[in-house]
Amino acid sequence: MKKIQALLPMPLSMKWLKTLAMASGLSLLAACSGGGASVEENNNSGQPNPGTNYSGPPPQSEDVQRFKLAVWDNLVRADRCGSCHGVGGQTPQFVRTDDINLAYAAANTVVNLSRPAESRMVIKVGEGHNCWLASNGACADTITSYITNWAGGSVGGGATEVVLTPPDNIFMPGDARSFPADSSLFASTVYPVLDQYCSRCHSDTAGNAQSPFFGSDDIDLAYSAAQSRINLDNVPLSRLVVRLRSEFHNCWSNCTENANTMEQAIQSFVNGIPLTEVDPDLVISAANRLVDGIVASSGGRHDANAIARWEFKTGSGPIAYDTSGVEPALNLTISGGVEWVGGWGLQFTNGRAQGSTANSKKLHDLIKATGEYSVEAWVAPANVVQDGPARIISYSAGEDRTNFTVGQTAYNYEFLMRHANTAGDGMPALATADDDERLQATLQHVVMTYDPINGRRIYVNGEFTGDMDRQNTGHLNDWDSTFAFVLGNETNGQLPWAGIVKLVAIHNRVLTAEQIAQNFDAGVGERYFLLFNVSHLLDVPECTVNSVPQCYIVIEVSRFDSYGYLFDKPFFASLNSAASFSNIPVQSMRIGINGREAPVGQAYGNIDVQISQARQDLSTLGTVVGLEKGPSADEFFLTFDRIGAHTHVRLDPVPPTPLPPADGDPVSAIGVRTFDEINASMSVLTNVEQTNPNVQTLFQTIRQGLPNDELITTFSAAHQMGITQLAIQYCNALVEDTAKRSAYFPGFNFSAQPGVAFNATGRNQILDPLLARILGANISSQPTDASVRAELNALIDRLSVCGTSCPANKTASIVKAVCAAGIGGAAMLVQ
Amino acid sequence: MNIVAPSKASPGARPWLTATLLLTLAVGSVAQAGPREQAKRIHDRLAGVPASDAVIDSMAAKISANDVIGAANEAMEHRAFYDVTLKNFVTPWTNRDSNAFAPLNDYTATVIGMVRDNEDFRTVLYGDIIYTGTGSGVPAYSNTSNAHYEYLENNHINLKDALQKRVQSAVTGMPSAATAGVITTRAAGRAFFIDGTNRAMFRWTLMNHMCNDLEQVADTTYIPDRIRQDVTRSPGGDSRVFLNNCIGCHSGMDPLAGAYAYYDYSYPENDMEAGQVVYHDIGTINEVTGTRVDPKYHNNNANFRPGFVTVDDSWANYWRKGNNQVLGWDSSLPGSGNGAKSMGMELAHSEAFAQCQVKKVFKAVCLRNAVDSTDRNQIDQMVSSFKASNYQLKRVFAESANYCKGE
Repeated sequence: MKKIQALLPMPLSMKWLKTLAMASGLSLLAACSGGGASVEENNNSGQPNPGTNYSGPPPQSEDVQRFKLAVWDNLVRADRCGSCHGVGGQTPQFVRTDDINLAYAAANTVVNLSRPAESRMVIKVGEGHNCWLASNGACADTITSYITNWAGGSVGGGATEVVLTPPDNIFMPGDARSFPADSSLFASTVYPVLDQYCSRCHSDTAGNAQSPFFGSDDIDLAYSAAQSRINLDNVPLSRLVVRLRSEFHNCWSNCTENANTMEQAIQSFVNGIPLTEVDPDLVISAANRLVDGIVASSGGRHDANAIARWEFKTGSGPIAYDTSGVEPALNLTISGGVEWVGGWGLQFTNGRAQGSTANSKKLHDLIKATGEYSVEAWVAPANVVQDGPARIISYSAGEDRTNFTVGQTAYNYEFLMRHANTAGDGMPALATADDDERLQATLQHVVMTYDPINGRRIYVNGEFTGDMDRQNTGHLNDWDSTFAFVLGNETNGQLPWAGIVKLVAIHNRVLTAEQIAQNFDAGVGERYFLLFNVSHLLDVPECTVNSVPQCYIVIEVSRFDSYGYLFDKPFFASLNSAASFSNIPVQSMRIGINGREAPVGQAYGNIDVQISQARQDLSTLGTVVGLEKGPSADEFFLTFDRIGAHTHVRLDPVPPTPLPPADGDPVSAIGVRTFDEINASMSVLTNVEQTNPNVQTLFQTIRQGLPNDELITTFSAAHQMGITQLAIQYCNALVEDTAKRSAYFPGFNFSAQPGVAFNATGRNQILDPLLARILGANISSQPTDASVRAELNALIDRLSVCGTSCPANKTASIVKAVCAAGIGGAAMLVQ
Repeated sequence: MNIVAPSKASPGARPWLTATLLLTLAVGSVAQAGPREQAKRIHDRLAGVPASDAVIDSMAAKISANDVIGAANEAMEHRAFYDVTLKNFVTPWTNRDSNAFAPLNDYTATVIGMVRDNEDFRTVLYGDIIYTGTGSGVPAYSNTSNAHYEYLENNHINLKDALQKRVQSAVTGMPSAATAGVITTRAAGRAFFIDGTNRAMFRWTLMNHMCNDLEQVADTTYIPDRIRQDVTRSPGGDSRVFLNNCIGCHSGMDPLAGAYAYYDYSYPENDMEAGQVVYHDIGTINEVTGTRVDPKYHNNNANFRPGFVTVDDSWANYWRKGNNQVLGWDSSLPGSGNGAKSMGMELAHSEAFAQCQVKKVFKAVCLRNAVDSTDRNQIDQMVSSFKASNYQLKRVFAESANYCKGE
């Protein structure tokens, strides 16, 4: 079959060519030392050089020399590849010691310099071929780094080119099975075989325990480990079967028979899993799992000067591997509250991942050698309240001794660093500005750089924050080589940071703004292009060639975090360049997962486009869909309300009519007046304007101390005190104004002594007008005139005991008191 | 008992306190309410101040003649209905803290004026309307100061008489098409367009004029294609938080709040009170967004790069489908559009808007929310009446006063 390819757009293609051209000229430039051209450094200088045992002919070219430094020197050791792939050993002899040029020729047969991760050497080790670490992935990544360093600047541009090819296995949703949540079916089918023949090694309790532990005594653990080695859709391709049948891995008798036994056990397991039904009314694409996708390379990172890098791909275990390829590997030991998270990362709660001081020393050595460096990380702070600064990344020996520290204080990133003009604890720190709130509790790309010209700088999400280092720059002579590199805490455990770290890289050069933007754009984590076959929905003959579907909706899908997938920028692609399309409608596309439409996150539900090209964007949006069973088990498909001539009528359900709320407790029918109402009411009752200066000043002072709510049950003694003060002020203003008081209390003699003024007539002259205003006439809901009059008369009695020998103005004072008692009481207040 | 006397009152008045407290306790339960008692309560609830005997007499006569609405209208002739009752009714809507002590402002004055003039109250969210005061010594309306309204309040100017209806665009200089009633007043801008992302304007409008906070309308099943880039899809590294919570509000709110994309409240550094509402008119190109969209719509755009990027002031009401259909949207409107004016109309023409206004008035007059089916039926009746009267809010006050006048 002729393989038909479609290429993604390559915005970096020109850049790649430029880079390649620069790399091609590298040897010429290197020969002209002192020419001033920048030459990428090789950082393999942190380890006693294992290549010193080489005594063969010199490298014939610059490329051979680069191969030797980057790959051969690192792999020639007997505990890596040297004991087998040397002279007279297994082919290819890429670490032979007799002639580096022959080793170079052999290596070229198992490497892919434009895509190092796809090198045969990497894949082989990644599959478990004599990995010298506990993690096959870490070995593969380390060798990838070696090959990348060999390839130098030629890597990068090629990584943006992704070739789309039809999936090997096209199936409709529901045809695939999902692993049951319960392990009982596994326990009765596959596990007995694994337990009998594999558990002596593949068990966590075995004397020579080798992962994966699918033979563990713990059935659930064994089930979890076995899932990635079982192919539910194609049992013979299950790793457990292939390992026996094709790779002859520890067969217990006859490999073919043993493979058949394993295959039958897995088939029994598969037969017991029911198929998931999909709503037959839906218009659906074919299905995909994440692992069926084409890797969307996350290449394009600038790592030429990375001296340590952690990508956290291992996903389990106590070690986070440094896969920079720069020896010694600064592997980090995990302790305390740290968990691996999906999509490659570590989540810190109250723990740390710390390297040994011996291996951390390479940071000291390699950074001091250049006098400049960059600390780069993808982090997701758990919150925006932690401080200390809480240690995200630190090369230190406690709170008061550090070489450098990246920390968090609330919304700010902080960069502490020891040099000639800072203290041993790295202070004063360079922090992002408070008002900018740069740090957010979401995944962010953070880079801290230092060089003797610009000092410290902080970049967040590819942009320089603009925060300037106020300290003079200084040399690094005081850096301490005995400190330890640590993530998520201080080395003494006193300043824990909560959040997720998804990638950390230390560079012993300053990353330029362009390089930082490049690394930000490259993203983090593993991404796939999922090709959803829609050939059967388009009624375009060219969408099928030799029974192979050619028309797909392609979405870049990645593991977003432990709980979700990111679907990004769907586009239509025809792999058959001969096909033509004429305004084929695509409306309301939804993502299906495990036989049904995802209930949340349908960001493409409103798209309405027409396909008229072989390669056409459908949306620029991305959306997050919840993870259900895991990347290897979740099965995705697409549904459409309309695609081509196929339609699905989506009924908008009518929401049920809300039930009436339950009856509440009875509420008082009366309430109290509130602040402005009280003020206005007193003004009405006394005829004193609200703008009276004394009244106005007092009211502004006590306004917020008056009732703010009509609810009578919230009325308090403090409210009454405020009302009291205001009432006295109004009455004071009334009585002190001779015109007003004469009009209000006609006939009353304010200049007489109380014993005279408050005779029966005088009392009525005061109480009659006052009570008429306060109580109103013939309103039975008000207090009775008699009861209020009796109280106020009693008040007059108590206040006028001095009779005719009272101080001057005593009469006026008594009137004020009577007035205030009247207008400040419930007769005014209650409404 | 240690009692602190007021600073400038006569010391001789202190002993009256005992009497005052006694009088406070003297008022007991309300007896059977006749026309005079009902008149007093109606006046108390509407004007907020005691009525004169003459007014009580007049109102009681109307009540006796089964013209309770007429009696209520008479109570609302008192200036305190505007200066006190309406001012305190509206002021909490004009700030984020629901603070009733905030100064009089153009938002409050506009609502007071619209009630007084029996304007179609729905235009409060989309009309080219504003009310300003008149009188000697009153400083002119300013786009950068609230002094005009504070003068009216501090000098106890009679708002019933002093407020004048004016064309907002003529007063503020904002294009008429960009005005949206109280939404585009200076006070609303100071409170809800200041800083942030302008979602505040939507949320507080939803609370104050639709009587729903986002919790009541949250629904995770709406299509999230308009959620902006600043909303992290994995808060603290956990996308479940987004999928179970954030998306529920943002999926509906963000497409509606797109209507405010051209607005901002701009203020001098360290002086928020001296700012003004800014509208990015046709021809304006912001250097950050490259469009008329205010940069705040692109805040924190690295939080989720594949999120929605606002390029104009288009809005869409996703709540016309799904569970939030119950808000009762106007089927004669398109459900999408551009700008604050049409979006304000979308909200104001909903059943929820009408119900909300009635419920607020009911609470203000009856001093309680509806507690039983009788109350709820009354509210339904008043909603119908509100619509039938071309959305005159004053009538709702009168009908509420009638319902709660006592028997």
